[in-house]
Amino acid sequence: MVLEYQVMINTVQYAFFYLVFSIPLTLSYRTTKVINFAHANLITYGAYTAIFLHGVAGLNIMSLATVVAFLVTGSIAVLNNVLVFTPLQRKGSPPSIVMIASMGLWIVYKYLLYIATDIANYYTSRNFMSYGRITYLDIPRGVGPSQALVAGLAIALITVVSLYVLLERTKIGRAMRAVADNPLLAEISGIPRTLVVNLTWFVCGGIVGAGGVVWTSFSGATTPEVGDSMILQVFTVSFVGGLISLLRTGVGAVLIAAVENVGIALLNTYFGVPVSFKPFLTFTTLLAILIAFPPLGAGGGLPYRFLRRGRGSD
Amino acid sequence: MIDVVGFVISWLTIFGIYSILSLSLNLESGTAGVTNFGKVVFYGAGAYIAATLTTYLTLILNGVDVTETPPYDVRGIVLLGELGSRNPLMSLGLLVLSLVVAFVIAGALGYLLSYPIIRVGPAFVGFTLLSFGELMRVFLQHYEPVGGNKGLMAIPTPFGWVAESRVREVAYLGLVMGVLATTYVVIHRLVNSPLGRTLRAVRDDEVAALCLGKHVPKIKAKVLFVGSGFAGVAGVLLAYYLTSVNPNMFVPAVTFNVWAMIILGGCGNLKGSLVGAAVVTFVDRVLTFVTPYLGVTVISPDYLRWVIVGLLIVVVLIVNPRGLLPEEPIKTPALEVVSEELGGGSG
Repeated sequence: MVLEYQVMINTVQYAFFYLVFSIPLTLSYRTTKVINFAHANLITYGAYTAIFLHGVAGLNIMSLATVVAFLVTGSIAVLNNVLVFTPLQRKGSPPSIVMIASMGLWIVYKYLLYIATDIANYYTSRNFMSYGRITYLDIPRGVGPSQALVAGLAIALITVVSLYVLLERTKIGRAMRAVADNPLLAEISGIPRTLVVNLTWFVCGGIVGAGGVVWTSFSGATTPEVGDSMILQVFTVSFVGGLISLLRTGVGAVLIAAVENVGIALLNTYFGVPVSFKPFLTFTTLLAILIAFPPLGAGGGLPYRFLRRGRGSD
Repeated sequence: MIDVVGFVISWLTIFGIYSILSLSLNLESGTAGVTNFGKVVFYGAGAYIAATLTTYLTLILNGVDVTETPPYDVRGIVLLGELGSRNPLMSLGLLVLSLVVAFVIAGALGYLLSYPIIRVGPAFVGFTLLSFGELMRVFLQHYEPVGGNKGLMAIPTPFGWVAESRVREVAYLGLVMGVLATTYVVIHRLVNSPLGRTLRAVRDDEVAALCLGKHVPKIKAKVLFVGSGFAGVAGVLLAYYLTSVNPNMFVPAVTFNVWAMIILGGCGNLKGSLVGAAVVTFVDRVLTFVTPYLGVTVISPDYLRWVIVGLLIVVVLIVNPRGLLPEEPIKTPALEVVSEELGGGSG
């Protein structure tokens, strides 16, 4: 039996994670036109908010950790925007410069967290570099699905439903979509663009952080690299959606989770490929997408497919 | 007592290696606008090519059966230590071979990687190269013939046959500076050629360059070939300098170290790359030299260094995006004539 029960469970579990991590990426890109490479930090900081609450303060209540993580990572995202992205955009920097700045932010946050774990380790003498799975009190457990699966389902459902309601049924959501479609026109129509952009960052950052909290109930060893180790998958999922469509991003989450987990299970059984080669499948998918369906025009690419001969080329 | 001469030699050697990287990244990103977040791929590829070629060939040419005593084995490492410094001709021959092979293979890798990404925007380009670097690291960690997680050690250096250690270091520094000078001349000629002007056109407006009949994907692939080739050469020099390679040396942060250099020095200005490399490597070396004297602290200077590098990128981009030395107009004969006539007219 190749496709064991566990492989199926993992596929579903990862689909939840990729959904929760990728949809905010797509949403924040299409509203603000910033490719945020510091997205990985938001995952990590969400997870480490829960870990510090557990390891330093001794709390293991997931609903509380989720709310705190939402506030922490949401604030980080807003801070990034106010201190770095907005000043750069106001100076008229091209999108690639803003992207490089987000790369700089990525490594600042990453190593700040390493320093924070060192300090926490110094005072509590617990190992924060590789933190064990946290068992939460307020999530039902016992026979049946694991805590992470229950929490993953809950967070994915809450994200999708609340984003749907926010974007389709409220005035703020309409303003967000207006800014995404045409920032200038939105501003002329009296939409407070700065506020809408900051709000988008807060919501997007917060959702990612909340997803990071769920990760601590799933992974047996959370490290400060957790966000970085998932960034390939998260970005690939968003690229499936062309960085525009939230629905296609959702489809991408399921697709990538299935390709990875089912694919590596098959390869491992028949060819003995180590399980840590999982990212190679995602990368192959990414290359296939870029070659077969290049997301033209998104993120500043050539607005049409480049043909070898004719039609104005060469 | 701090060894000043040793400090200067080690700083200049590291500076030379990083300058080659920053010059090639400046050609790709500063001049051609290819957001290469995967510089470490080609750097690492070069280092591994040098390490693999040198260790295996040293053993094979000395008549050792590498299937029984591979170079990553303890016995292999001991043998390499004995055999590596015996034959000057062989050491230098392996150096030249490594440089050539690394340039070609790293360049070819860059050329191939350009195929899927060249039609899409900078975000996709940067991201694909970045994740390729991480995958290469995962692959190297599991690939036994290059030592897996431990990597390769006791790589015979080109000047291993020189008895005096200071002379050896100076000779190696000379080699690095020679390669750096070659790199600078080649890239300087490229940037100030018709190709260089096309590259700037592509960077500033891809669609306009396309409309003027420039084959944008082909040009970018060319640039990635040259840039990646030089990064491979820098990798070779690093492998011989450290005499060991392992997968964890080639983390994405290395790429951003180079990015910090070109942003600080000024994108599109080659002299700026040298200045940026000098400043960043100097801070890095000073931290490395001073750390042992500070005693153990809670905050590791290693992490602090990366925070500084990241902040440097962000702050320079916000405060002075043109860097210390802003981009200059391309030197062409026409420009010289014009400026001469203007100067003559006014004077």
